[in-house]
Amino acid sequence: MKIFLVLLALLPLGVAYYKLDSAIDPIKMLYTTTGIGAISLLLLSLLPSTCKRVCHFNFLRYRKTIGLLSFLYVLLHVSVFIVLDSEFDYITIFEKSLKKPFIYVGVIAFIILLFMTLTSFKKLFAKYSKYHKAVYLALALALLHSFWAQKVAGVFEYNVVAIGLVLLGERIWAWKTLHVKTF
Amino acid sequence: MHITPEALFEARRNFLKLGAGALVSSTAIAQLLADMPHDMNLTYTPDPNPLKLSPNTFEQITNYVNFYEFSTDKTAPVKLSQGMKTDPWNVGFFGELKTEQMLSVDALIAKFGLEERIYRFRCVEGWSMVVPWIGFPLSKLLDYLEPNANAKYVKFTTRHDPSLFPDQAKGLFASIPHPYVEGLRMDEARNPLAFIAVGMYGKRLLPQNGAPIRLVVPWKYGFKSIKSLDLIECVDKEPLNTWQAIDAKEYGFYANVNPAVDHPRWTQSKERLLGKLTKQATLPFNGYEKEVASLYAGMDLRKFF
Repeated sequence: MKIFLVLLALLPLGVAYYKLDSAIDPIKMLYTTTGIGAISLLLLSLLPSTCKRVCHFNFLRYRKTIGLLSFLYVLLHVSVFIVLDSEFDYITIFEKSLKKPFIYVGVIAFIILLFMTLTSFKKLFAKYSKYHKAVYLALALALLHSFWAQKVAGVFEYNVVAIGLVLLGERIWAWKTLHVKTF
Repeated sequence: MHITPEALFEARRNFLKLGAGALVSSTAIAQLLADMPHDMNLTYTPDPNPLKLSPNTFEQITNYVNFYEFSTDKTAPVKLSQGMKTDPWNVGFFGELKTEQMLSVDALIAKFGLEERIYRFRCVEGWSMVVPWIGFPLSKLLDYLEPNANAKYVKFTTRHDPSLFPDQAKGLFASIPHPYVEGLRMDEARNPLAFIAVGMYGKRLLPQNGAPIRLVVPWKYGFKSIKSLDLIECVDKEPLNTWQAIDAKEYGFYANVNPAVDHPRWTQSKERLLGKLTKQATLPFNGYEKEVASLYAGMDLRKFF
């Protein structure tokens, strides 16, 4: 089942590789594929806990896999920035790009997700899992970054915001009911 | 085996129809003439291409566009625009000029003739292409219109017709304010490089590229090159162009291509030439420094971006 999940999640990368030769704006295409992939998987990684509460269907065991797949997309996205877009021009990256909110907001999200990836294995997870709530911040920043990536925001961004708000609303509601019970 | 090319086949059919129409009545001929397809090849003077620019393919230029009147997506306008009726099409010439008038695109072509201009095109978003436009210099049009002494700027407006452009029918939910407006200072408009295009690659413009008539200002970011023109007005004040109205911190009136002045969100020092996986340097005034730099002598190009 996990293998199937991984293959399904990697499918867009295969398609992107296949289309690279004929792409009209290849760098932009790679940015879009990896960016949309990363945000979609990040959003999807929030689903298992919602599902457990709402429909009593437990697939929490897939949450880590989904999260790691999302980070793979993030890593490729950052690679496109450094290798293809900036062409390893570190002077421009540090002196110009990193000063722009559009870029550093994305970089902060990347650092949060890097931290989560590195602390997602047994021992470290026990110690650091409480900080994994930062995923909400990472998602919000990634979304802001995605809004800023175009001249005006498109359908994808608004859909992510809508789904994100529903998931967040359910969490607040669940937390409230839990809170009322304890008192 | 002998196969008639599609264009010839169409031409022959039209010729036969015309012949048949002549037997019936002259109004029938007029009707048939009006129905003649407009993608027939244009006659024009080719560009000697002294810069040895190699144009992007027809397929690339016609499948990667910003045309928010249809969609904010780069490829969606291609399908959405195919039913767009671009003929007949009149352009209005108003404001501070000798005689206010309306002229059809065909009348403009007949009046000014056609030439090819192979120009670099640089989008503010960071991608670029090379396009073999066909049309006539804006200066020829202005010479004909004879702007008066009050005419300091030229204002351009895209047609506002929600039956043609779906985004214009969305009211409050439109992606940008409509109709789209652009402007040039009179001396910029009179520069020999400023161009009115009606075709590309030997044919009439396809709807997604701004049919039937558009502006091309090669030394400025692509959003200055307004599409599907409805009005050209000579005015005394600097027009508020659409992108400046949307966000004046990010988009100015001048919008000259300048690798030294960044967009607030990304650098402008390099560009992605369509079809290439590697980037290339962006040139001052998009490579037309020699021809246009003098227009901006003494101006702070960081302030007037």
